[in-house]
Amino acid sequence: MFKAIVSASTLRDALDSVSVLVDECKIRLNEDELAIRAVDPANVGMVDLTLEAAAFESYEADGGVIGVNLNRLEDIAGMANSGDLVQLELDEETRKLHIQIDGLSYTLALIDPDSIRQEPDIPDLDLPAEIVVEGAQIGRGITAADMVSDHIRLRVDEAEEAFFIEAEGDTDDVDLRLDREDLIDLQAGPAESLFSLDYLKDMNKAIPKDAEVRVELGEEFPVKLHYEFGEGMGQVTYMLAPRIQSD
Amino acid sequence: MKFATFADRADEMAAEPGDLATVALVADALAAAGDGPEHRSAGGETATADGTDADDDLPIVARFLRGAVFPGWDERTLSVGPSLCHAALARAAGANVTADDIEERLAETGDIGAVAADLDLGGQTGLAAFAGGGDDAPGAGGSALTVREVYGELVAVAEATGGGSESFREDALFGLFTRADPTEARYLARLVLGEMRIGVGSGTLRDATAEAFLNASVTTPTEERGEDDRTEEVVGLVERALQVTNDHGRVAKLARDEGEAGLRGVSLSVGRPVRSMLAQAGTVADALDAWGAVAVETKYDGARVQIHYEDRAADEPDDRSGGAVGAGDAGGPVSIYSRNMEDVTGALPELVEHVREHASPPAILDGEAVAVDDDGEPLPFQEILRRFRRKHDVERMREEVRVELRAFDCLHAGGDDLLDAPLAERHDRLREALDDGVSELLVSDDAAEIEAFESETLESGHEGVMLKRPESTYDPGTRGREWLKRKPDVETLDLVVTGAEWGEGRRAELFGTFEVSVRVDDSDDDERAYATVGNVATGITDEELADLTDLLEPHVRTESGQTVTLAPAVVFEVGYEEIQTSPRYDSGYALRFPRFLAVRDDKAPADADGLQRVRRLVGDE
Repeated sequence: MFKAIVSASTLRDALDSVSVLVDECKIRLNEDELAIRAVDPANVGMVDLTLEAAAFESYEADGGVIGVNLNRLEDIAGMANSGDLVQLELDEETRKLHIQIDGLSYTLALIDPDSIRQEPDIPDLDLPAEIVVEGAQIGRGITAADMVSDHIRLRVDEAEEAFFIEAEGDTDDVDLRLDREDLIDLQAGPAESLFSLDYLKDMNKAIPKDAEVRVELGEEFPVKLHYEFGEGMGQVTYMLAPRIQSD
Repeated sequence: MKFATFADRADEMAAEPGDLATVALVADALAAAGDGPEHRSAGGETATADGTDADDDLPIVARFLRGAVFPGWDERTLSVGPSLCHAALARAAGANVTADDIEERLAETGDIGAVAADLDLGGQTGLAAFAGGGDDAPGAGGSALTVREVYGELVAVAEATGGGSESFREDALFGLFTRADPTEARYLARLVLGEMRIGVGSGTLRDATAEAFLNASVTTPTEERGEDDRTEEVVGLVERALQVTNDHGRVAKLARDEGEAGLRGVSLSVGRPVRSMLAQAGTVADALDAWGAVAVETKYDGARVQIHYEDRAADEPDDRSGGAVGAGDAGGPVSIYSRNMEDVTGALPELVEHVREHASPPAILDGEAVAVDDDGEPLPFQEILRRFRRKHDVERMREEVRVELRAFDCLHAGGDDLLDAPLAERHDRLREALDDGVSELLVSDDAAEIEAFESETLESGHEGVMLKRPESTYDPGTRGREWLKRKPDVETLDLVVTGAEWGEGRRAELFGTFEVSVRVDDSDDDERAYATVGNVATGITDEELADLTDLLEPHVRTESGQTVTLAPAVVFEVGYEEIQTSPRYDSGYALRFPRFLAVRDDKAPADADGLQRVRRLVGDE
């Protein structure tokens, strides 16, 4: 059983944060929250999203799992004005999701959840450095890096108490230095890893410019990016595996 | 099997120049692919439609060795072109390598495998590499690739559809490449693009299957084999099973699990295409010499189709024997496949309707889809191409180009596989299974009768005739000597008409046969300026006969009974199958199966072909 009403903007924010990585996903309809965990086809990037029941106007669920085509669902959500409410209701018999937006009703065929790529066990990482920074700053670093390279280095300099976003191109280099005063918070530790910009660019598309992004970083370890949406009642964690830096 | 093991073995095969040694390497690889104890349990009962059960790598390895992910009959394709493969490789190759870089390197080496092996692909890690010990998620990166995992990913790539599927395919390939070492990358890239370059052909795999699982001694020279060696028989059995199933993987598995009996037991499956039997070029003379009697049929200028008409109870394959009899019975699905086993059902709705109306399921029919005009006369090949493989506007095009079925063979009818039945019997079963749209079959040992059939066929606007051995079995995918398409005239001769014969019966008022001659340049004698080389009687319509009679009658010199001699005045363009030496004609040569093509009214007798040209064509000069 699943029946919920949610604001169109909250629903869109949730869907966008997942669709930058995958086209299909499983949605867990837990009693107290809606949860999505999905890994990209190359098993390099992962998204973990929860949207608390309190983020909905109304929410009733009893723990089922549905598989959805995200592009389709995003298209439907795109029909709503930002103030509209979206009503979602699962028809258990037909395995279809009924969606109603201001008189518009849409019946979405669901996907067999078992046919969707199984996500790996989530690495339980204890990462030595944590940086809290505005989404806009990360976006700035990524945009600049993209001008010169397809990879990006994230690094914390413990001595200088600074966070660096760096990229090396064939001819040009980019280097964004964020000191403690540019950041919301910094727990310095030994941290330096290289990442594919393809993934970070996609993730950055979903990260709101004004969000507080908590970045957890290690040495040649996956990076975790956490942020909240839906007035703090939705949480997104991205995890991205590093490239090992060859000499 | 670890994909690295597969790649290493493929590398050995690529390096092995000897054919027999390659067979031995392939046989080893096949044996190793099914080495695990868990593979032997159930005799294929857990197998899925593509013969791939959950824990048996043999079918996958067998197909991979041929550069194929799916069985030959399977509709699925990877939909991965070179550019997608290059993009995925570039992403895996690390900092600032682009698809253009990959293409540049490819232009130098010409081998995507070599390019892939040279790249530094291992840089990108997968999340699973950090997940600790508890990694049981299939496809999760970090651990070594297995053949099964690669297969699973490629299936996902093949099955991805809709918006975003392009990026999904690239991501999935990128994920595979990031986990590949150089040798794995070499064969992964080649596999993805369907070209293994390891010298393992279909025959190699067939021989290796027999060697690995059926005690054949393919790798032992023939003279060293024992008296009662059954290698050739066993290899033939594997070949036949391959023809019937079109699936190297399934045949290898059957050979291993059920031996020769299993291979003997394979049968056609209605709804699953097999390769078409093909024809070589040949002549009526060849056919008559070799077989005595010849089955002759029209060679249609259309597109080959294989039509599968399933029983209504298609989900109960064991209930086939009691299949519905009698045309017009409502059957199960109808599928139409091209010569390359591509599904073209959607493009040819009238053939589907025709089969539903006129055929009895279950049946597999072989034939030709021809475009016809409003009178049912054949239209050129280009017209059928406007319909074949069409996915859009099918109904509109149906108005423009009418398509009809000309069925000429029957591979399966009423629950019986007919591949091993003689052609004549198959044709009888075809007529039973289909009450309209069956191509006429003439079985004859009379050259004149065959000629008459051919000229009638040509007059109706068809491109020629097919000659088949009446006793021949249906050998899928084989281009043997059992089916011949009559060789088109290589070169024609322009010959002078020097005589004729009056026809008989209703044609008594017309010339029927024409004596044709070559010029003899070195003759001083005007009477001997032309030497006969044959009699032309075929390739002429009634209308043309009347015109030719009018044209030639003024030139009659002498008349004796039905035979007249003619003054040299008219030049015919004449086609033929071959030129033989012969005492029968003045020139010393005879045209075999000469056919009238046209009057060369642009040529005078002095411009006709000379004896020298005939000598040259024969090779006597």
